[in-house]
Amino acid sequence: MGKNEESGFYQEYEVFSKRSVKSPIQHQFSLLAPNEEMALSMAQENFMRREDVIDVWVVKRTNIRSMNSQEREQWTKRLNNKDYRTTKGYGYLRKKWREKEQGMLDEKEIMSWKEVKGT
Amino acid sequence: MYNYVEDGDSKTTAYVEKDTNKYNAFMNRIEAGEKIEADDWMPEEYRQALIKLISMHGISEIMGALPEKEWVPKAPTLKRKLGIMAKVQDEMGHGQLLLRVTEDLMKPYGKNREDLIQDLLNGDLKFHNVFHMPTKTWADAGMVGWLVDGAAIISQTNMLDASYGPYQRALQRICAEEVFHAQHGEAIIMALAEGTPYQREILQESLNRWWPSLLMFFGPSTAATTGSSKQDVMIKYGIRKSTNEELRLAFLDKYLPRVFSLGLTVPDKSVRYDEDTGKWAYQQPDWQEFKQIIRNKGPRSKERLRLREIAYENNSWVRKALAPQPATH
Repeated sequence: MGKNEESGFYQEYEVFSKRSVKSPIQHQFSLLAPNEEMALSMAQENFMRREDVIDVWVVKRTNIRSMNSQEREQWTKRLNNKDYRTTKGYGYLRKKWREKEQGMLDEKEIMSWKEVKGT
Repeated sequence: MYNYVEDGDSKTTAYVEKDTNKYNAFMNRIEAGEKIEADDWMPEEYRQALIKLISMHGISEIMGALPEKEWVPKAPTLKRKLGIMAKVQDEMGHGQLLLRVTEDLMKPYGKNREDLIQDLLNGDLKFHNVFHMPTKTWADAGMVGWLVDGAAIISQTNMLDASYGPYQRALQRICAEEVFHAQHGEAIIMALAEGTPYQREILQESLNRWWPSLLMFFGPSTAATTGSSKQDVMIKYGIRKSTNEELRLAFLDKYLPRVFSLGLTVPDKSVRYDEDTGKWAYQQPDWQEFKQIIRNKGPRSKERLRLREIAYENNSWVRKALAPQPATH
């Protein structure tokens, strides 16, 4: 098979994997494969030789609408004025509650409420 | 495992970027420690240097797997066989990662993987000096893992902060796996060093043979030696941090004490640690020979290229069978 016949043979795939049920899906790298099945098999060979893995996604690169260079620049240079969306904008409450002899129900405290006493 | 070959052929000419605004913005990004991505604007000189570096690195991983796989059937125990098989597979995996990085960089030129393989077989794409050399005994399998990979680790960790994002990310994975390769090599070396007189003899003989290649691995210290050197460009663009000579001295610093601790010697009487300079003194290898080796005139160049060609031809039917459009003949 000559060079010209082979061009178009390989497709670019992006590979994603998931380490455990609790972990988010993570981008690994890209690879070339002629079809999805080969891409999945190559993903196993290329990226999962040692790693724990419970799921693998292969996505044809042409099916991903990623940001271009300009778009990335716009997003990384946006204004840092979103305190009102985060707990950072409400940090003064800690002092207020302390005056009333109460602790702050912060993220650490609230995220620890998996178990309720007495259940 | 391997990267960075000084090509010794192409002439270095001064590069002038036409678009100074874009160039300055680009250099500001590099100096700020930002990572450049494949679709970002980049100076032609940066793109060319990356293609040359990463294609050589990727192809050398694959060409490096060839002399190593010869030892799979000959490994002395099942455990050693499994270990070296895992290493060979890693090298092919590294090659795949690095070829992907190169392919994305070559896209604007309309070039792809077939072009890279053709360039290799034509002799236009060079591979690392160490893979033009023969392996003769099992000690060589250990030596490749311990000192050849050791040299590769020195030069690759120097690029872990490289300015080009895709390469930098590939290197994190590659270097982590190299730690296994280095220890795999050390385990073979340690067994031989603590073994029978014959085992110690083949170990010393192997080190004597590999010594010049190990020094050559880092490339000449200046362009004057072989006619060209890309190290200044690499450092300017934040791809690597240190010069060839600095890396070679770092290698001697880390490994010579270990070599001597095993009761081994190196075939260079002038090797000694200079307390005044804080550096190892050593004899330069024959850089003219180096130039010949990487021009595919080394002892095993032709055989290794032929192996690659045979693999490519033998697998042609697989590509044909999987092609989206059936072949017409």
